[in-house]
Amino acid sequence: MRQRPRMSPTRTGTDLRADRIRSCPLISQPVSYLWRLAGTGTSFLLFGLFGILLGAVVFPLLRLAPMSRERRRNLSVRLVCWSFRRFIGFMRGAGVLSYEFRGRERLGRPGQLIIANHPSLIDVVFLIAFTPLAGCVVKASMWRNPFTSGVASAAGYVRNAPTDEMIEGASSALQSNQALIMFPEGTRTTPGKALEFHRGAASVAVRAARVLTPVFIRVEPLTLTKGQPWYRIPPRRPHFSLVVGEDIDISPFRANNPLPKAGRALNQFLIGRFSSHQPYN
Amino acid sequence: MLTRDDILKQIQRVLAELFEIDPARVTPDANLNSDLAIDSIDAVDLIDRISRVIGKKVSGEDFRSVRTVGDLIAVIERLASK
Repeated sequence: MRQRPRMSPTRTGTDLRADRIRSCPLISQPVSYLWRLAGTGTSFLLFGLFGILLGAVVFPLLRLAPMSRERRRNLSVRLVCWSFRRFIGFMRGAGVLSYEFRGRERLGRPGQLIIANHPSLIDVVFLIAFTPLAGCVVKASMWRNPFTSGVASAAGYVRNAPTDEMIEGASSALQSNQALIMFPEGTRTTPGKALEFHRGAASVAVRAARVLTPVFIRVEPLTLTKGQPWYRIPPRRPHFSLVVGEDIDISPFRANNPLPKAGRALNQFLIGRFSSHQPYN
Repeated sequence: MLTRDDILKQIQRVLAELFEIDPARVTPDANLNSDLAIDSIDAVDLIDRISRVIGKKVSGEDFRSVRTVGDLIAVIERLASK
């Protein structure tokens, strides 16, 4: 009699356990996993050390040098940009991540507002590293963090709160022809939730941007999301894809509309633009 | 000299124009945030407009304690008479 091959109808606990063990990267590929874990730890350490070094040594020395405020700020921003680039180079070299950044030559134009979605902790590092002379709107708590406060104040970043000071600071940065980076989500994306944008970025755009440029960021597999500790690294090396989109024409939103209306309309438009570009679920 | 009533009328006009809020809802007791749904970003636009209407430079600081339309009238009265 022929034996019919059958799928086993029930799976035993041992099978399930074996599956889980096989899918655990520490077991299936221990060398690459531990290497990436060590590399990620080293990256965080380097970032912190560099932040302290710049904030406690380099920038204070720079303040002693005889030069105008403007020149000092530009120099500081260049230093931050250079360090962030080295930092990303290190992470790529160590195999902690891979990335592609398309259209980055269109970043850093005078009066350009750059808006991006915010899936991961290092999005801002990428954008600052690849935007010449970028300003950035960042959390006010960065000024209280010893690793970031030196950088944030020397580079003249704009605090996100209180709202009126943020809008004023961001607008005057754009009006003085800086490029400025903003994350309209305000905080890192909650995976699986519908995209929400605060109106702050749209409001700044209709007030003061000369050019509005979206950057679409995608991380696969997702890593360093909100509330995730650094050592919870993904099963595979994450790939960052950053794509600079077409400039968004603000003039139709501005035309014949009072600011609040223009800001709301632009914000809705931006949510649509980013939602259709990003898989959010 | 502006009376409180004049100021209220101006506020009603501005809120209708900027946010399409029905003037009947704009009473001195109305809370700007919870009753009229004006958030911190709207507030920035509103303060800009107020500054233009009274022809004086004002700062967000002057409006930090404002909660109701009545508070707003009081602050405008003070700023306009300065």
